[in-house]
Amino acid sequence: MKIDLDGIVIITGNYGSGKTEVSVNLAAERNSGGTEVRLADLDLVNPYFRTREARHQLRNLGIEVILPPEQYMTADLPILAPQVAGAIREQTAMVILDTGGDDVGATVLATLADRLQGISFKMLQVVNPFRPFTETVEGCLKIKSEIEAASKVEMTGIVGNANLIDETQAGHIYDGYEFAAEFARQSGLKLEFVTVPEILKADVDTGRFACPVLTIKRQLVPPWKQAVALT
Amino acid sequence: MSKVLMKGNEAIGEAAIRSGCLNYFAYPITPQSEVAEYLARRMPEVGGVFLQGESEVAVSYMIFGAAAAGARVFTTSSSPGISLMSEGISYMAGAQCPAVFVNIMRGGPGLGGILPSQADYFQATKSLGHGDFRLLVMAPASVQEAVEMMMDAFPLAEKYRNPVMILGDGLIGQMMEPVEFPDSKKTEPLNNDAWATSGLDTRKSDTRNLVKSLFLDPEALNNNNLLLKSKYEQMKREEVRFEAYNTDSAYNVLIVSYGTMSRVCRTAIDSMKADGIEVGMIRPQTLFPFPEDQIRAAADVTHCSVVASIEMSMGQMIEDIERSVQGKKPVKWFGKCGGDVPTPEEVVA
Repeated sequence: MKIDLDGIVIITGNYGSGKTEVSVNLAAERNSGGTEVRLADLDLVNPYFRTREARHQLRNLGIEVILPPEQYMTADLPILAPQVAGAIREQTAMVILDTGGDDVGATVLATLADRLQGISFKMLQVVNPFRPFTETVEGCLKIKSEIEAASKVEMTGIVGNANLIDETQAGHIYDGYEFAAEFARQSGLKLEFVTVPEILKADVDTGRFACPVLTIKRQLVPPWKQAVALT
Repeated sequence: MSKVLMKGNEAIGEAAIRSGCLNYFAYPITPQSEVAEYLARRMPEVGGVFLQGESEVAVSYMIFGAAAAGARVFTTSSSPGISLMSEGISYMAGAQCPAVFVNIMRGGPGLGGILPSQADYFQATKSLGHGDFRLLVMAPASVQEAVEMMMDAFPLAEKYRNPVMILGDGLIGQMMEPVEFPDSKKTEPLNNDAWATSGLDTRKSDTRNLVKSLFLDPEALNNNNLLLKSKYEQMKREEVRFEAYNTDSAYNVLIVSYGTMSRVCRTAIDSMKADGIEVGMIRPQTLFPFPEDQIRAAADVTHCSVVASIEMSMGQMIEDIERSVQGKKPVKWFGKCGGDVPTPEEVVA
């Protein structure tokens, strides 16, 4: 099953749900499939571990990464690059907007609401049931309505991103799939895909999933670890 | 209990709740603001209090007040905010009040930057505020260790009736790792009827307790300082914590490094070992008391020719290492202090 996404895709979710890891890997996956991809870092709330950490790898692959100017990259300032609005207007084959966490992080989308008017797009909620406040479907539904209220945009789909980073096992992926599927049932949203870390690919039977799978090559690593090469 | 995936800052907040600390006063500052964000949601769920002060100075006196009244209380901040709290912390040490202060360090001096740093080593271990006092300082290297140190910090603060500091760099606050909260580390507050101003009703006492740091009589002030000194001497005897890595090898170089910097060193040590070069490491888990004897013993072996202090500062811990080694071996420094964390490759070089 292939991931069926193009056009404008907005990645949202609660704080630490894995939005950036999903955005970066989704960009690389679509790019390798021949789709022209632009990725915009709209995370105005997180000080470390943002899309910008993977910018060199992404640019080497030919993916355009839209970021605040280099000299403000480590400033504690909410800078929204003007190119973002342009990217939406120009209708590249695929534009991924990686937002910050929670309703606070999604507020930035309200400033783009005018630009999004009359354009078709997808807005996905990334969920990891091993994170605080989203261990239950009720918690995910609450975050969903908070993000929708702050962004003034309706959610269209779900990304299941169950993981414990280095300690993830196949069982976590299966439980996470069931969780995401239940969230999809209760919310009426489409489960677009679930993620599997590359190192677990051989251990996970993806035939159990009624949705596509995105392989995650981890990019946001602490300085004593190496990011996995993107292709 | 099953593991959850948490940011260091969130885990620090949750660890306080699991330690029975339901009083949190703070003022936001990057890179520790997630503690306040997390506890703003969690404290109401558990019947606790999160109150944002109008400044870090105000926060430090909210902490003083709650501690004086005998409550478990803590705060979190980052470097410039801790500077502002230093006056209140000095008062608390003088008045012998227990509390936990978390510093998720960012670059300095001044406003510095928001990236990780370890440049508050002097501040935490030697010069936090005026007067003759010390903090018990613990430095976690992982999110799990931050949780465990938090859960240990409250009973230690109460044992010594002294503020305890958790000193983490920005990475400890911002990185995500799987954690669990061990029930075995849950503690009940010590009985503080003898000193806390918790009200005569709750204490069932006829005598009034007074918490103060003012001693106008020179002999009384000298005696108070002697009492504080005896507590710091007891900490040196009883609370030293450290971790040794690859010290059973015939290492030529001994690294001393703490916090997340030590994890970079670990990766470097592993890669050098693969190339046939042996390097040992002592990681202080307490910075005060400092593992002086352990570092001296590890340096004073024939195969060790040099000791290296590797820190995200311009050479602060190196002074404690030199004091520990007592001139028996040369002590060198390597570090960076602009927010970039030194890479394993740079440590190897």
